[in-house]
Amino acid sequence: MKSASDTAHGLPDAGIDRHPLIFLLLFNRPYWRRYAVGALLAVFFAVVSLGTPFAFRQMVTDFDAGHMNAKRLAVYFLVFLSIASFSGVFRYFQRMLMIGTSRCFEYDLRNYYFQHILSLSRAFFHRCPTGDIMARATNDLNYVRDFVGPGIMGAVDMIQLPLTIGAMVHMSPRLTLLMAAPLPIVTLLVYFFVRFMHTQSRIVQELFAAVTEKAQENLAGARVVKAYGIADREQRVFLQVSKDYMRANLKLAVVTSMAWPMIGAFIGGVVLLAIWEGGRLVIAGKLDLANMTGFLLCLLMIVWPLAQFGWILTLYQRGAVSMERLKRVFQEKPDVFDGPDTDPEAKIEGGAVRFENVSFAYHSAPLSETKDAEKSPEPGRAALTAIDFEIPAGQTVAIVGPTGSGKSTLTALLAREYDPTEGRVLVDGRDIRQLPLRVLRGAIGCVPQDTFIFSETVFENAKLGRPDATDDEVRGVCAIAQLEEALGDMPDGMNTLLGERGINLSGGQKQRLALARALLCDPAILVLDDALSSVDTHTEERILEGLRAFMAGRTSLIIAHRISSIRHADSIVVLDGGRIVERGTHDELVALDGLYAGMYRRQLLETALEDGVPVEGGAS
Amino acid sequence: MSDGYHMHDEVQRRSFDTQSMRRLLQYVRPYRGWMISALFLLLGAAVLSNLNPTLIMWAIDTYIASPERTALEQAHGDPALLQAAIRENRHGLTMLTVILAGLLIGELLLRWGQLIIVSFVGQTTMLKMRMQLFAHLQEMPLRFLDRNPVGRLMTRVTNDVEKIQQTIVTGVVQAASDCMSLVVVLIFMLVIDWQLALIALAPVPLIATVTLLFRKYAHHSFLEIQRKIARVNAYLQENVSGMRLIQLFCREEPHFAEYRARNADHRDEWLRQVRNYALYFPAVEFLGTLSLSLIILFCGARILNANSAATAANMVTGHASYGTMFAFVFLADHFFGPIRSLADRYNLLLEAMASSERVFALLDTQPEIQDKPDAVPCERLNGSVEFDNVWFSYGDENAESIKPEDWILKGINLKIEPGERVAIVGHTGAGKSTIIGLLSRFYDVQRGAIRADGVDVRDYQQVALRRRIGVVLQDVFLFSGTIEDNIRLGDTTMTMERVRECAEYVNAGKFIDKTPGGYQYHVGERGNNLSTGERQLLAFARTLAHNPDILVLDEATSSVDTETEALIQDAIGKLMEGRTSIVIAHRLSTVQHADRIVVMHHGEIRETGTHQELLAKGGLYRTLYELQYKGQEIGGRS
Repeated sequence: MKSASDTAHGLPDAGIDRHPLIFLLLFNRPYWRRYAVGALLAVFFAVVSLGTPFAFRQMVTDFDAGHMNAKRLAVYFLVFLSIASFSGVFRYFQRMLMIGTSRCFEYDLRNYYFQHILSLSRAFFHRCPTGDIMARATNDLNYVRDFVGPGIMGAVDMIQLPLTIGAMVHMSPRLTLLMAAPLPIVTLLVYFFVRFMHTQSRIVQELFAAVTEKAQENLAGARVVKAYGIADREQRVFLQVSKDYMRANLKLAVVTSMAWPMIGAFIGGVVLLAIWEGGRLVIAGKLDLANMTGFLLCLLMIVWPLAQFGWILTLYQRGAVSMERLKRVFQEKPDVFDGPDTDPEAKIEGGAVRFENVSFAYHSAPLSETKDAEKSPEPGRAALTAIDFEIPAGQTVAIVGPTGSGKSTLTALLAREYDPTEGRVLVDGRDIRQLPLRVLRGAIGCVPQDTFIFSETVFENAKLGRPDATDDEVRGVCAIAQLEEALGDMPDGMNTLLGERGINLSGGQKQRLALARALLCDPAILVLDDALSSVDTHTEERILEGLRAFMAGRTSLIIAHRISSIRHADSIVVLDGGRIVERGTHDELVALDGLYAGMYRRQLLETALEDGVPVEGGAS
Repeated sequence: MSDGYHMHDEVQRRSFDTQSMRRLLQYVRPYRGWMISALFLLLGAAVLSNLNPTLIMWAIDTYIASPERTALEQAHGDPALLQAAIRENRHGLTMLTVILAGLLIGELLLRWGQLIIVSFVGQTTMLKMRMQLFAHLQEMPLRFLDRNPVGRLMTRVTNDVEKIQQTIVTGVVQAASDCMSLVVVLIFMLVIDWQLALIALAPVPLIATVTLLFRKYAHHSFLEIQRKIARVNAYLQENVSGMRLIQLFCREEPHFAEYRARNADHRDEWLRQVRNYALYFPAVEFLGTLSLSLIILFCGARILNANSAATAANMVTGHASYGTMFAFVFLADHFFGPIRSLADRYNLLLEAMASSERVFALLDTQPEIQDKPDAVPCERLNGSVEFDNVWFSYGDENAESIKPEDWILKGINLKIEPGERVAIVGHTGAGKSTIIGLLSRFYDVQRGAIRADGVDVRDYQQVALRRRIGVVLQDVFLFSGTIEDNIRLGDTTMTMERVRECAEYVNAGKFIDKTPGGYQYHVGERGNNLSTGERQLLAFARTLAHNPDILVLDEATSSVDTETEALIQDAIGKLMEGRTSIVIAHRLSTVQHADRIVVMHHGEIRETGTHQELLAKGGLYRTLYELQYKGQEIGGRS
C-alpha cells in the first residue's frame, strides 16, 4: 500500500489555518478513492448482513407453515454460511483499505511534521523544548490517527443503521417505535462513560507524572537526602503522591468497572424489552414468531454500532484537540529563509567575512510555557551591540572574552541561524541574506561549542557533512584532529557504534570528532567555537600544529578560552558584554595590559599550577 | 562493576517463571479473603449470565410459542379457552421478564463489585510494592546510584510496577474469570442438551487454532511495532536535539530520508498487523456463524423428525424447540468470548513477568554500605575529625583492582580539633570535594579510616552520623515544595520561629520576605525560580536549622552579584562559628577566616598552615592565591 507522501504530488500545504476536520479532509485528499471504495464495501456489508434476519424469518415461516424439508433446511444452512463468508470478505477489504490507509495517513503526517520541524529556525527550538515537540509527535499524532482510522471506519459503518432500522420497521413498526427511546441511550451511555474515562485518564497520567517526578527528584537529590538523613520524610512525600495516584486510579476503576457491565446490562435490557413486548404481540396473535425473531436479530445487529457511535464521538473530540496542538507547530514559520533577494546562482569564492555594525537581541515568545526559554539569554536583551570587524579572505581572527560576552552568538549570526537585529553580515562582500542558505552553510565548517554526536558509528559521524567522502579523506582529517589515536581503546576503532549523544566518548574525543567532521567539509570558512576546550593542552598543541596547514588559504573564526590556542591569530577581537573592547595582535594586546592581558596572565599561572610547579613570585 | 547490579531493559520472557509468580502472589496474600470473594462474585455472575438465555428459552417455549395455545389457534377451538391461554401466557411472560431484568441487574452488580475488589487489591498491592522499592532505593549507597542511571531506576518504581499491576493482578483474575465462565457455560449446555452442545462446540478447535495463530502473528507484530516506533521516535528526538548541527551541515534532506525510511518500516509493520486483524475478526465471526448454523441445522432436523413422527399438535417437543435454538445461540457466544481473551492474557502475562523480574532483581540487590549490627548511635559529636591514611577511588570497592591513576585520594592524613575551622584549597581535580562524601559516609574508603570523635565512621549508625554533620553542596539541591519545607526538611518538631530565626541569621530572611508567599513561597522544580545566590542562602538556613556538630561546606564557584556575595560571605562566617568546619574554599574571605588551610594537589596534601604562613612560604598556595583569590580583593571577576 503506497502513501501519498511517497508520490510526486506530495502533501497539501493549504488548510493549515482551517478547522481541524477540514485540514484532515484536505490532508487525506490523495486517498479519497480508497475511502470511497471502503464506504462502498461498508454498504455491501450492511446489505448482505441484512440477509441473515430475513433468511431466518423465512425459515421460521417455513417451519410454521410446514413447508420445511431436509433439502430446504440444508439450503438455509448454506445461505447462512454464504452470508457470513461474503460479509467476512467485505469486512476484510474494508478494514485493509480504511485502517490501512489511516496508517499511511499517519506515515504522511509524521513525515510532514518532521519535514516541517527541519525547516524551522533555531529560535523555535529555544521556545519549544524537545519534550514538547516529542509529545506532539507521539500522543497527539496517535490521537489524530485514532480518529482517522477507527473513527472514520466506525462512522462509515453507521450506514448499517438506516438500512437495519428500515428492516425493523418492515418487520414490526410497533416494536421499532418501542425501541426508539432506549436505543439512543446506549449511544449516550457509551459517550459519557468514555468521555469520563478520557478525562480521568488524563488526571491519572498527570498524577503518574507526579510520582515519576518525585522518584526522579529523590534519586537526583540522593546526596542531600542522605546528608540530612531525611529518607523518612522522602518516603512520606512519596507515599503521599503515590496515594493520590492510587486514589485517582481507583476512581477511574470504579467507573470503568461499572461501564462495561452496565452497557452490557443495558443492551440486555433493551433486548429483553423487545422479547417481552414482541412476545406479548405474538401471544395476542398480532405478530408472528418469524417476524419477531427477525426483528430480534436486526436489533442485535445495531446495538453495537450504536454503542460504537458514542465512542467515535469521543475519538473525534480527542483527535480535534490534538490536531489543534499539531497545528500550532505547523503554523510556525522559519525566521531565516531564502527570500526574494536571494540570488540562487550565488557562490562563495574567497570567504572574506565582514560584520558591519551588527547588533542582535534574542527574542522569546514561547510557543507554550517552556523551561528552555529561561535558559536562553534574557529575552530582548542585547547580546551583541555594534559589532564591526572583518576577516580578510584566508586570514584568521580569534574572538576571546568572558562567558556571556556574545562570542557564540557571533558564529550563529555568521551561519545565519539568526538574522541580526541591526547591521549586516557580509561574505565576499555580499549580504549573507542574498546567499542561498545551502551555499552559505555549505561554505562554513563549524564546530559548535556543545558538540552533538549522533548515535551512529564514528565514521558516519565524521562524514555528516559529506557522506560521499572517501575513506582516505576521512582518515586525512582524522589525522589532523588526532582522532584515530584518541579512539585507540574503542573496540572497533572508527566503526564503533556511538551511544546516544556519544555517551561512550569522553568530552575530548567528542570534540575531536566534531572537529574532523567540520574539516571534512573542506570549508572556505572555518568556525571553531571553543572547539578544543576538553582536549588536554598537549594534544591541543599537536592539533593546532596540524590545523595550521589546513587553515592556510581559508578564512577562520576561532573562539577560544585558552589563549595559547589563538595567540598566533592574525588578529584578536576581545568581546565583553556584547561589545568589542579590545582588538589587535597578541603582542599588541598584551602590551595594552587590559582585559586580554589579564586573562593571559591567569592562564599562565593556571598552566603552572596544573603541573604542580609553584610560580616564583607570581605574575603580579 | 562485575558485582554491581546491572539492569537489562530488554528482557523478553518466553517462558513462565513460577518463582516470580509465587513471589508476586505473596503481595496479594493479605487480601486472600477479598480475592476469594471476588472469585465467588465472578462465579455468581457467570451463572447468572447463563441463566439468562436459559430463561429466555423457557419464555419462548412455554409462553411465546406455547404449543397448547398454538394448537388451540390452529384447531380454531373454543375462543374462551384461547383467551384464557393468551392471558395466562402473557402473564407468565411478564413474570419471567421481571425475573430476567432482576438477573441482569444482579449480574451487573456482581461484576461491578468483583472489578472494584480486584482494582482495590491491585492498587493497594502495587502501592506497597512501589513504597518498598522506594524505601529500598533510599538505602542504596551513592556508588550504586552513580552506576545506575536515574532514568532506569525510576522506570522500576514507576512503569514496571504499573505493568505488574495492570497485567498480573487484573490479568490473573480475568484469566480465572474466563476459565470459570467456560466451565459454567459448558455445564449449562450439557445439562440443557448434551447432543446439541457437542454440535455447537464442534468449531471450537478451529476457533482455538485460528486464535492461537493470530496471537502468534499479532504478538510478533506488536513487538516489532513497539521496536519500530521506538526507532522512529528516537530518531526524531535525536534530530530535534541535534537540529542545530543538521541545519549547519545542510543535512536536512538525507536525515529526512532516513526518518522516512524508519517511518515506512513502522507503517509496513502496522499494515501487516492490520492484515492480521482484518483476517482474524472475520474468520472468528465466520466460525461463530458456523456454530450457529450447525445449531440451526441440528435443531431444524429434529423438528422435522418430530413432525414426521407425530401429529402437528405435539410437533414441538422439549428437545427440539425454537427456545433451545435461541438459548444455544447465546450460550455458544458465551463460550467463544473467553477462548478469545484467554490467548490474549497469556502473552501479556509473559511481558509483565519480565517487569516483575526486574523489580525483584532490584529489591534483591543488597546495599553495599550497611550499618554494622553493633553500630553506635550518635547523639552528639564533640567534632574532632581524623583522616588516617585515607585512600579512595570511585571505582571498585576492592583496593587491589584499582589502577594507580584511578586513586582520587592517596594517603590523606589530617587531624581536625573540635571547633577548628579548616579550609581546603586546591586546583580542580585535586580531590577536595571527595573528602565531603567520605566524612558523611556516602562512600566507604578502600584503605585507611576516617574517625569522628575517635570512632571510625563505619561504626556509627549512618543516619545518626549524617544528622550530626551539616553538608552544604556546591550545587544546591532544592525540593519542589515551599521554602519552609526546604529549610525544615521534614523535621516537624522544628518551630516556625526557629525556621525564621535561622533564615534571618544567615541573611536569607530578606529575600524570602520579598517572595510572593514568604516562607510559603513554592520553590519550582530544583529551585528554578530562585537565583543561585538565593539558593545558597537557603541552603545555609537549612543547614543551620539542623544545628550540626560538624559543618562541611563546598563553596559554590559561580559568581553572584556583589551585594549577594557580601551576604553569602557573612553567612559562611556565621555558620562556621563555634563548630568544627571543613570548607572547600573558593573565596578569599573564607580562606582568611579559617584557622588552618590545607592545600591539596592530585589527591595528596601538599601544604598546611595559615594564610599568612602559606603566602610567605611561596609554594603552591601562593600560586593558587594569585590565580583564584587575589582578584577578589578588588571585586574583579573570577
